[in-house]
Amino acid sequence: MKKSNISKRRRKEHLIAYAFILPDFLGLFIFVIIPIIYAFYISFFKWDFINEKIFVGAANYIRMWKDMNWWNAMLRTLKLTVLYVPLLFCLSLFFAALISTIRSKAGSFIKTSFLMPFAITSVIASTLWMFLYNEKRGYLNAAFKALGLSNQKFLGSGKQALVCIIVVLLWINLGYNMILFLSAIKDIPESYREAAILDGAGRWQVFRYITFPLIRQTSIFILVTTTIASFQVLDLIMVMTKGGPAKATEVGALYIYDRSFNMMEMGYGSALSVFLFFSLLVFSFVQMRLTSEEQGEGV
Amino acid sequence: MKKEPVKIILLVVFSIILLFPIYILFMSAFKEPGELFVVSLWPRKISFDNLKLVLNPKFLNSIKNSLFVSATVTAVAMILHSMCGYALARLDFPGKKLIFTTIISTLMIPTTTILVPLFMVCKSLGIENSYAGLIIPALFNAYGIFLFRQFYLDFPKELEEAAEVEGCGKVRLFVQIVLPLSRPMIVPLTIAFFLGTWNNYLWPLIINKKEEYQTIQVYLANMVSGYSTPWNEVIATAAMSAIPVFLLFLLLQKQLKEGIKVTGIK
Repeated sequence: MKKSNISKRRRKEHLIAYAFILPDFLGLFIFVIIPIIYAFYISFFKWDFINEKIFVGAANYIRMWKDMNWWNAMLRTLKLTVLYVPLLFCLSLFFAALISTIRSKAGSFIKTSFLMPFAITSVIASTLWMFLYNEKRGYLNAAFKALGLSNQKFLGSGKQALVCIIVVLLWINLGYNMILFLSAIKDIPESYREAAILDGAGRWQVFRYITFPLIRQTSIFILVTTTIASFQVLDLIMVMTKGGPAKATEVGALYIYDRSFNMMEMGYGSALSVFLFFSLLVFSFVQMRLTSEEQGEGV
Repeated sequence: MKKEPVKIILLVVFSIILLFPIYILFMSAFKEPGELFVVSLWPRKISFDNLKLVLNPKFLNSIKNSLFVSATVTAVAMILHSMCGYALARLDFPGKKLIFTTIISTLMIPTTTILVPLFMVCKSLGIENSYAGLIIPALFNAYGIFLFRQFYLDFPKELEEAAEVEGCGKVRLFVQIVLPLSRPMIVPLTIAFFLGTWNNYLWPLIINKKEEYQTIQVYLANMVSGYSTPWNEVIATAAMSAIPVFLLFLLLQKQLKEGIKVTGIK
């Protein structure tokens, strides 16, 4: 009798557990898992949303292979990633290391200032920087003029536009990543550094051999999340340049958006999405392997 | 640390550079309309003419929509994710590992790659051009579930055991004892979900074409998308719409810094 009581209670616990999990599981299934499967399915069709879907086999993937506009767009994504990720990484680490050494009350003001741009939405940041970048009457050109530099086109220039967008990305995300680094640095026991200094280590040596190795988990986390995010930069570009001038800022994610929602080529857009998804998946697997190796070493 | 003053000066100068664009935004909002593009550090005369342009019904409606959508997403997500995270951490049931792995694997799917099919799914569910379309797809986030699970794994077992002895059921235990003690995780996640939803531009742009449900980000972005941009109104609107989040930010600074540490998410 006692036994059946226990199993009854256990069955009740199972039911409660399923009830607790069901809403989230169902939601993730419908709004994340089904879409990725559906994208894969649609990528074998030609579909403009209005007429019937037509099965075309691998035609969309063959088209992607030959589509120079797509590869140029992906090349711009890579360019953005290669410029933005190391810059953000080094700047946020540099400022975190610097802030961690000061003891003054100014530290709080500095941290808040670094984080302020993060409290601004991407659309506000975009409009604000469009105003600052304004070619004829903007603040940046006024500052350039005061410094004796020539007038720049900024977002209107094919050469400068992508860099201008990277500047805004840095401005928004620097403080957030700096705080992540800072809290990792603060978690290192002070005695480690003191011991090294007693042994005659210089400031650079302390950073190189104590601090940096001990924040590797955070470093990898920031590298992975920033790289994945850099493949997905879309809102800033859509507001500030719409891919222009002359496609200078048309990155992969924007090309997919344009094909799908403006050209209504749902099948082709899905094929490109699937490709982007798998490239990011391969990338995050490589990164995850790196992270688990770190843990294996038992840092 | 002899070099401390040098470091502080360097950092303060850089902080001011970072703050400068925000200062320009608010300062310019108080300029006279004709003076907007006159480069200066201070308005010649403080004027409310730009700000008056902002307070029209469309702007107020979009602020209302954004507040409603962000608050609803945050509240519902907290309830769902804490329940799910709790069950995964503390309850026993068959298939637990498989369910957990499935949930975690969705973390690897970046939103940008599913925008097209997600739109198609929502369209076939008939929730485009509605609050439901803005809210429901924004709720489900495996990272929130994962963080709640991690939090509940470290939860003191004694509390649950004591409650069990008292004859308290699992549901009551969760609602009356576990949830009130979950503040350290609920606060940072509330900030993260609210800011994330408030900031979102792409999804509301895709899923809703009706002015009735337009969010503030879409409203503001639409202003600069035409051939001639009404800059006075844009700057004033940007400044006004930044205020709610700035207030939240200044009030919850400490929790926000703490929250970044705890959650690592935006």
